[in-house]
Amino acid sequence: MSDPQPGRAIGIDKAAVDALQDALAAEHAAVWCYTLIPAFLPADQVPAARADADAHRAVRGQLEQTLSDLGVQPVSAQPAYQTPKPVADGPSAAALAVVAETDALAAWRSVVERTGDRSVRQAALDVLTKGTLRCAVWRTVVNDQPAILVFPGSV
Amino acid sequence: MREHPGSASAPGVTRRQLIAGLLLLPPALAGCALGQGAQAGPDPLIALADAARSDVALAAAAIASTPATAPRIQPLVDARTAHAQALDAEVARLDPHQPRRPPARATARTATLAEVRAAVLASGQSAAAAVLTLPPDRVGLVASVAACCAAYAQVLG
Repeated sequence: MSDPQPGRAIGIDKAAVDALQDALAAEHAAVWCYTLIPAFLPADQVPAARADADAHRAVRGQLEQTLSDLGVQPVSAQPAYQTPKPVADGPSAAALAVVAETDALAAWRSVVERTGDRSVRQAALDVLTKGTLRCAVWRTVVNDQPAILVFPGSV
Repeated sequence: MREHPGSASAPGVTRRQLIAGLLLLPPALAGCALGQGAQAGPDPLIALADAARSDVALAAAAIASTPATAPRIQPLVDARTAHAQALDAEVARLDPHQPRRPPARATARTATLAEVRAAVLASGQSAAAAVLTLPPDRVGLVASVAACCAAYAQVLG
């Protein structure tokens, strides 16, 4: 059986670690965005935003633990992030959620592409799938069509 | 060789199980053997493209049967049409001599929303299984297809 990464029998090579670090950076950014978003949303959308924030925090925590257990220092969050557009009201807050989710989708698709390890691929696909649904909710709010991305994570 | 190793040394299994556990992967999925025959037989993307065409035909039949479902199902028709085109293009990239596949025949029978949902759920599961074994330069497309199908299966339920 040939191994595309000779000498790396554990299957989690540097490319995979780098991809996981990129995903962690995207999750840090998403968590930050979701701390900003709820204050601007109409009350009926706040629970969804809080649930999505929890989901990103959970993934972030799992990623940090995974990287630590691999002997890698997980990348840290930045103190603050620049939003692509000012957030001033409900629609702009929902639009930021779309950006955060879309960025995370790209990072997770990249994880799938940058590892041959089945378990990592499966886990990344699971996050990609759940993120596609989260993104669809916010795309619906801002009336982006189609709500469900045709190629989630494709940039 | 493009394929990923189908089996692993014992330390690899241990590490993968570790990763699987940390990422809350269902244990049944960890390290499951799907690689058998990955290097033989037809391009696995052909079946995925055919499934996309089949979903398009079924979804179109559902809309014809119950036009009121069109707002919910038409985006799926569009998505699966795009999936078929992208998968066909990837098949042709690796094998330019691959004959072009015809579109799925329009279904004369009626179809229900539940049938459409079941079909796209199965399509997503097939794509998700392929994600575990495809080479890096093809797996991203199929992962996107899998996630999109799973999302439609969820919202159409």
